[in-house]
Amino acid sequence: MEPLLRVEKLSKSYHTRGHEIKVFTDVSFAVNTGELLLVTGRSGVGKSTLLGLLSGLDRASGGSIFFQEKEVTGLSLAELAELRASSIGMIFQNFNLIPGWTARENVEAVLMHRGISAAERQKRAVEILRELGLADRLENLPAELSVGQQQRVAIARTLVNDPVLILADEPTGDVDPETAGEIIELLLPRVKSGRAAMIVASHGLFDVKLATRVVCLKDGILSETAQ
Amino acid sequence: MSVDVITCALRELRQNWRRTFAVVSGYAITVAFIIVLAAVLLYSRVVQDIVIGGTGTYFVTWLPACGDISSLTEKELADLAKGIIPAKCQEQCENCTGCNKKPYDILNEGFVVNTNTTRLLTIELAEKVARLDSLKNVSACLMFRFRDPTNNLIFTAAGVNPQDYAVVRNCVAAGDLVEGSYLDAAQPGKILVESGFAINNGLKPGMKFSIAEEEFEIAGLVRTGVRPLNPDIMMPFADAERAINKRIHNPLEKEANIILAVSHDATHHIKAMEDVKKLLKTDSLLTTGCYWPASEALGLSERMVWGFMLIVMLGSVMFAAKIQWSAVVERYRNLAILRAIGWSNRVIAWQLLCESLFQSVAGSLVGVLIGVVLITAVPVNSLLGVDAAMTGVLNPVLAIVVIAFAVLAGLLASLFPVLRMHARSPLDDLRRF
Ligand SMILES: Nc1ncnc2c1ncn2[C@@H]1O[C@H](COP(=O)(O)OP(=O)(O)O)[C@@H](O)[C@H]1O
Ligand SMILES: [Mg+2]
Repeated sequence: MEPLLRVEKLSKSYHTRGHEIKVFTDVSFAVNTGELLLVTGRSGVGKSTLLGLLSGLDRASGGSIFFQEKEVTGLSLAELAELRASSIGMIFQNFNLIPGWTARENVEAVLMHRGISAAERQKRAVEILRELGLADRLENLPAELSVGQQQRVAIARTLVNDPVLILADEPTGDVDPETAGEIIELLLPRVKSGRAAMIVASHGLFDVKLATRVVCLKDGILSETAQ
Repeated sequence: MSVDVITCALRELRQNWRRTFAVVSGYAITVAFIIVLAAVLLYSRVVQDIVIGGTGTYFVTWLPACGDISSLTEKELADLAKGIIPAKCQEQCENCTGCNKKPYDILNEGFVVNTNTTRLLTIELAEKVARLDSLKNVSACLMFRFRDPTNNLIFTAAGVNPQDYAVVRNCVAAGDLVEGSYLDAAQPGKILVESGFAINNGLKPGMKFSIAEEEFEIAGLVRTGVRPLNPDIMMPFADAERAINKRIHNPLEKEANIILAVSHDATHHIKAMEDVKKLLKTDSLLTTGCYWPASEALGLSERMVWGFMLIVMLGSVMFAAKIQWSAVVERYRNLAILRAIGWSNRVIAWQLLCESLFQSVAGSLVGVLIGVVLITAVPVNSLLGVDAAMTGVLNPVLAIVVIAFAVLAGLLASLFPVLRMHARSPLDDLRRF
């Protein structure tokens, strides 16, 4: 069976002011639903760059990405946006919540512009925020929330569209180990229940035992490390 | 574009209400300014028409007399009376019908405009002049210098159609009456006498005055002031024609010697005079002279207002561009987040354009309102010392044009940052901001 996500000979280089920065070349791997792939590597090796390519926010320099049996590298910007909206959940190191919007508005934003009625949007956002224990923080701005609560809003935003692929860039980078554990606890059930696959980029603090597989990015080469 | 886009745009405007307020006020002030300036400009046109209309959008034209009558021999004069034109006069005969209608007393009497002798022209030619677009009204008129052989009194008499606007402006109006009553074409046999002439000759309304051996009753005395045509006597056209016919070799046949004209309006005045000169092939125009500096002064201020309006409009476009630009720049990070969670560039672009549209429409509507209130509340006319009402200065078409301009400027101004946003990488923006 074709895996959910298959990456083949993916390479990325940046061209800045005349010279080329090769971030990585010939990266290949596959991820199935129910799997958590941990991408490790020191800061600056290109983990975020890789997730950027997988989310379709950036274009690869070479190679291909197959997502749900579809070649992603050939899609238009609009099709990529549609793909993110419908199937991919992203979670960032620094939450990236919109500061002027309430917790509910931040979560609802994912469901905007997709033909979902305002009532339905609100229902689904409130539901997931409740699940994550934020029932009494629906109408608070991010600045009025604790770091842990902000992270949970970000998780709610990641999960509200029922993504089949969750991309997490240093999800536990900025928080204390306890909060980090909580984040994983909240995201993991989606993966373990077989509803989604998850790719986590982390430079070390992430608990390796949680991952199905661990790969390491070093000097532009991705290598499988034995668990 | 969907309801969601509009919802999001409105939410954005509400949440950043301070910025929204600033932008909307910017549009409002600019539009109000333009509306008021335009009103002042339109009003200055009205005032210009009043000022110039009051001093000289009218003029008098004629064909100057041919040759030098006194240089003709007895024989040539006798021939002329029979319609035989002397060879040396012939090249001047275009448009002239008067060669066989010279006065018997050719040295004292004749067709004149004030003190200059003229040729005759056909009423048909006057009608041709009347058909010029630049003219509002034209009236043919006869003016003849008489000599009363019984007392050697020399005077000029004008035969006019007193109801014609061109007569009222160029020669005599009911308002010029100092005593008695005005001319009435339906009541022939009555004349008006210029008041200075009346004093010199002891004339009063009700008295009789003899012209070409016919007694006329003096209906009133008038003071014609600065009007171009200043005859001593004013009488209905038909009466003048009858009186003149007794003094010339052959009777007039639908002829006159002066065309009284009124330009369409102040702005057409110069063109009107040029048109008439071209048609008649004459340089002989008589007009009161002060129309020129007046229109020049007002024309200058008009150019200033237009220039000022242009500057205001350019300024408003730049203002709108600046605001829209910074509204996008300060949102690069937020927009990058939204793109990361699946918002398409198209949706974001529509939202930005929507925001710009709402602000410019709201701002310019408020601006029109402010402008209208200012125009109606501030008594510009009394400030300028002009007693003309400020009517016709609230032009709905102009308001629509100004609103359309503001909205268009806003959209254009927001198009640039929207296109810039398209070219940006959301990942870069997330990393950088
Ligand atoms: N827009 C860019 N232009 C040029 N170089 C970039 C750009 N983005 C990232 N890089 C470079 O790519 C490399 C990988 O960066 P990144 O993916 O953020 O690393 P990581 O997430 O593993 O810490 C770094 O050396 C960085 O300098
Ligand atoms: Mg990184």
